[in-house]
Amino acid sequence: MVTTHHLQFPLTRNLARSLRAGDSVYLNGVIVVTAGLPTHQRILECLDSGKALPINLKGAAMLHIGSYSREYGSKFEVLYMNPTTSTRFNSYMPRFIRAFELCAVGGKGGLDAECARAMTEVGCVYLSFLGGGCTLLSQAIRQVVSVSWNDLIPQYRLVKLSVEELGPATVGIDAHGNNVYEDLQRQARRKLPEIMDALNKARGKTVG
Amino acid sequence: MAITYDIVKSVTAQLYEESLRKIPGDTKRALRSFAQRESSEVAQNTLRIMLQSAEAAERTSHFVCSDAGVPVYSIKIGTRVRFEGDIRRAIVDGFDHLVKTINPPLLAHVTNPLTLQRGYKGKDMPIVTYDLIDGADYMEITCSPKALGSGRWAALEIFSFPTLDVIEKYVLEVVLRAGSQPCPPVVIGVGIGGTFDYAAMMAKEATLRRIGEINPEPILADMEARLLKAVNQTGFGPMGTGGDTTSMAVHINYAAGHGFTPVAVCFNCWINRRTRARIFNSGEVVRFE
Repeated sequence: MVTTHHLQFPLTRNLARSLRAGDSVYLNGVIVVTAGLPTHQRILECLDSGKALPINLKGAAMLHIGSYSREYGSKFEVLYMNPTTSTRFNSYMPRFIRAFELCAVGGKGGLDAECARAMTEVGCVYLSFLGGGCTLLSQAIRQVVSVSWNDLIPQYRLVKLSVEELGPATVGIDAHGNNVYEDLQRQARRKLPEIMDALNKARGKTVG
Repeated sequence: MAITYDIVKSVTAQLYEESLRKIPGDTKRALRSFAQRESSEVAQNTLRIMLQSAEAAERTSHFVCSDAGVPVYSIKIGTRVRFEGDIRRAIVDGFDHLVKTINPPLLAHVTNPLTLQRGYKGKDMPIVTYDLIDGADYMEITCSPKALGSGRWAALEIFSFPTLDVIEKYVLEVVLRAGSQPCPPVVIGVGIGGTFDYAAMMAKEATLRRIGEINPEPILADMEARLLKAVNQTGFGPMGTGGDTTSMAVHINYAAGHGFTPVAVCFNCWINRRTRARIFNSGEVVRFE
């Protein structure tokens, strides 16, 4: 039975630690989204130089979600959003998770073991959103809190959003070292000889 | 009568736009069918949400995925076709026009690989491949935009006189390398033989076959069935969070070659973007999946 949670974001540390890999989560409250390598590079430069970031990421949910933001009068509107592949940010995330004590990261496809270690230390979860979920996920946007670094193309900007019932997202990595992605990769590698055996037998039956 | 610049510009742009707003009927049927057989509850839920997402996008004419990819067309030209105007230019202009008019607007994904700058134009964009159909008085256009999510995991290796077990093992290795990443359940395209470039094109072409269509080559039909079963035993599941449904179909094309045998493997993510049309000399346009 899948456990489903409807939670307020950013998550408290206790709530983040209470989640388990495989749980289903609907997000309410405030999240930060970006899908840009240049954005991650800028954040890293801020960390290195001590320069202030345009928004406070302390304790935030920082998700690898690309969004289309544009100026609308004196404000910004976000027309749509959708997760992107998180693994390309693997090298940045352990530092960010520790430095900002992020409560949640996410996107799709997971993060590597080094990121998962940082998540365990801090009490942070990885949330897997539906790739190809643009219409459903975008319906959860309630308010655009801020759009920073808008000299960048829309999906690279650092966007703070207020959302209602965003999801469902699956907890892919929890704060206790349970990593669905690493486990599945390990299991698949372990099963490979058995799978090859079955393939060879099936081939023997059909090809002379 | 001839196939004109205007009609090619308009049809290629329409095919691209439609591929962003709905998924093919065969793909919806496959998702439904796999959802019924799936043993993992998380995976069943994910497959159901995928269908809901596709239906919501189609109903509201929104995008299924925010990543519109880059425009990719495969074009087959009947040898009895007559053209009027610059047809390659029509495809480029069609995309430009779409970028300016589509609602909601597209994110910039066309990337210069030398500078990593992104925009809406680029060298050789849209990507187009061409082939001929003897005797036909129409051109057949398939649009299948490609994005990083699944595009990143394609691979090609060249073997020397490989047996089928070597080829199949390689396909599984590429599947394992892709793992949870390419937005499964994927359609896997495999190209065997020919030359380096031709194998890659065959693999891509194989992903465009409708799910459920049986390969006319019996050796390949068998190979597709057993590879699909093998891939779905890996356990990556929908969105790579576990389950029985890692792939909806494995499609294989082959060509004769020399003793060196390229094997190319590529992936379409679950939304399996694919739209098609035939444009006849008469100006008639026939749409199909």
